[in-house]
Amino acid sequence: MSAMLLNKDKWPEFVGKLSGKVWVPKVEEGEAIRFGPLSGEESKLPEYCNTRVPPKEIVFPETETLYCFQADEHEMTAPEIDERKIIIGIRPCDARAMKIVEKLFRWDVDDPYYLKHRELVTLVGLACNAPGLNCFCTSVGGGPASTEGLDIIMFDLEDRYLLETITEKGEALLKEVEGLLEEAGQDVLAQKEKLIEAAENKISRSVDTEGIAEGLPGLWEDPLWKRVSASCLGCGTCTYLCPTCHCFDIQDETEGFEARRYRTWDSCMFEEYTRHASGHNPRPTRRERTRNRINHKYSYYVDKFDLIACVGCGRCINYCPVNIDIVEILRQVKEAL
Amino acid sequence: MSEDFEPNIVAFLCNWCSYAGADLAGTSRIHYPANIKVIRVMCSGRVNPLYVMNALQQGADGVLVSGCHPGDCHYMEGNYYARRRLGIFKDLLEFVGVDPRRFHMSWVSASEGHKWKEVVEKTVEDVRAAGPFEGFRRRQIDW
Amino acid sequence: MDLEQLRKTAAEVVAKDDVKYLIGWKKGTYGYRVSPVFIENEADTEDLIFSPLCTANLVTYLTLVEKPPLPRGQKPDTRKVALMVKGCDSRAVAQILVEKGIEREQIIVIGCPCPGVIDVNLLVAKYPEVAENTELKWSGEDFVLIRGGEEIPVKREEVLAEKCRLCRYPNPVVSDIMIGEPVKPWQTEEDTGVSELEGKNVAERWEYWEEQFARCIRCYSCRNVCPLCYCEDCILDRLNPTWINRAVNFSENTAFHIARAFHLAGRCVECGECERVCPVKIPLGRLNRKLAREVRDNYGFEPGLDPDGKPFQASYKPDDPEDFIL
Repeated sequence: MSAMLLNKDKWPEFVGKLSGKVWVPKVEEGEAIRFGPLSGEESKLPEYCNTRVPPKEIVFPETETLYCFQADEHEMTAPEIDERKIIIGIRPCDARAMKIVEKLFRWDVDDPYYLKHRELVTLVGLACNAPGLNCFCTSVGGGPASTEGLDIIMFDLEDRYLLETITEKGEALLKEVEGLLEEAGQDVLAQKEKLIEAAENKISRSVDTEGIAEGLPGLWEDPLWKRVSASCLGCGTCTYLCPTCHCFDIQDETEGFEARRYRTWDSCMFEEYTRHASGHNPRPTRRERTRNRINHKYSYYVDKFDLIACVGCGRCINYCPVNIDIVEILRQVKEAL
Repeated sequence: MSEDFEPNIVAFLCNWCSYAGADLAGTSRIHYPANIKVIRVMCSGRVNPLYVMNALQQGADGVLVSGCHPGDCHYMEGNYYARRRLGIFKDLLEFVGVDPRRFHMSWVSASEGHKWKEVVEKTVEDVRAAGPFEGFRRRQIDW
Repeated sequence: MDLEQLRKTAAEVVAKDDVKYLIGWKKGTYGYRVSPVFIENEADTEDLIFSPLCTANLVTYLTLVEKPPLPRGQKPDTRKVALMVKGCDSRAVAQILVEKGIEREQIIVIGCPCPGVIDVNLLVAKYPEVAENTELKWSGEDFVLIRGGEEIPVKREEVLAEKCRLCRYPNPVVSDIMIGEPVKPWQTEEDTGVSELEGKNVAERWEYWEEQFARCIRCYSCRNVCPLCYCEDCILDRLNPTWINRAVNFSENTAFHIARAFHLAGRCVECGECERVCPVKIPLGRLNRKLAREVRDNYGFEPGLDPDGKPFQASYKPDDPEDFIL
């Protein structure tokens, strides 16, 4: 592991030298909405707490062709996934989410699409100096400078970045830009520790997760679900913006004699998510759907992989149109235990 | 625009007037451009704007909807509803940035073979001027 | 508005035997958030608030009610639902009544004359949100922010929501009980968002919307939050026929937004909810307001004013404009 310093003036040179498509947060409508490929005009990273749409869409695209086929032939062609991507500025929570979701895509049967994407990306994270209002990563096993899932972690030290490599992939990446970097001294590392501590102290929200995973099954018919889901609109904002939500739907699309099979994101908050062909729906109302969302993250996933499928990024709280707040729901769960 | 661009136009014709009008044009040996692909519907009021949108999405360069003259609808008032609905739809398409020359509506009665020819000529001319419509095609991306 | 009076009235309404619950607003869990609340007993009416932060249109919940199959022998709950409405929200009630989506006897409308609500994004940009729940009140023409015991005056034009700048009906058009005095309608501003786009040529407009629609993630929050999007079987959820594919790409996204806007033509009451909830900030209101403008200017029709009227697209006039017809 090496710790190097990069002067911020050298940013354009730095991103220019990397071999692979560089993705950074893009500002649209005055806000960093999502990651996008570098256009070459950026001289630095934008100011952002986190992007609205998580970078999960880079490794798990919202729509992904699985294969194409033709009516009069017996062959299927799968798309080639071969683009190397370097994601710069991903927050530690989102990188951690990729690591959590990877467990699922490796379990049972390996998912070639997800794993190929995952293999081809290099994650260069940016530690948080100023976590958002609804961040609670420290409660669910992460932190503003968590390195899980990352290849390199950067720290913003005002006029320069401190880059620390975590994996061999990260080492290889830094080799490409060696000339631009200088070795970091002990004083910088001490400054980094201070930054991390300051950031951790700024996190104001927290969840006490103890006993929740074991307790949730017992609350199956608890009145709390009715209460917390009463105002739910049944839209997909919370799940689509969640970095760990990974449900997808498979659909076919035809035109003339050609067709493709693709997968798209799906959301357990949608009515048709569990609707059977017969018309029966085992989760007939938003109460059951909300219950499933919480259970999946805080109970089923823990049972299966011993990990909470929530990284505390706070997006579902920030962007819920009706202020359904997962921290508050968990507090009520805890109370009902 | 390339000279040899032949527009692909979908026309929704009502069974009672416009379809018969087009039929008359045919039996009267009136020549009109062959770019029109006719779909017969029972009434212009049956034309859901989604048909128009889907036609454009699936590769049509323009769409024409034609029905009976106001007051002559076989179902008394179907074309009045169509006029209101598709008039607003045309405004919407234009606001989203679809060239207004791509979508037309006309009244052609069963006896107006010549008018049908004029309507088709005008539509084809307009769509030709607007050029191929690639922007909205469904099968453009990531297949 | 007098909150005491609101809570007292609400308590009286909820106490009635034939009322299932009252839908109102309460303080949210943090910052400027306000959350819809369903009140079933008198004691809970203490939570009710009405402030410039109450942006959510509660009428959505009237048509969002799920009706899962009942166990054998169980009768459906036919008690009334009471709800609080602002001016724009009440127009949605009127429009749903026109469409016979709900029955008038089934609802109790508590009208709240509204001097205008805020756009939370503008407020946050000006006065960053803090963790504790913060109050905002009307004060004369302007607002006052109450935070940590401190009162900060906030200028109206700085934070007023766009829909309120254009609002012509601040007082509820349908109501059973009115809380407080009607407010005086204010001078509306020009809808620059729509006018600006109208001034561009088609190619420029296409480019503009291409950028906007390409961003859509199809979470359908705009559809779900809309009080007038209440089809039981939405074309977006239908697979046979598939009008709009589930694939998220520019073509399908555009088709979705055209279909959504068109389904609201002559129905949209301009409550601005679609725009407010969009997680990727697509200015959806512009599409709806453009159509509302066309309907108003060319057909002399305005939705959601007369509960006994006829729906725009299910009626016609023999002399409707037809200058676009060949």
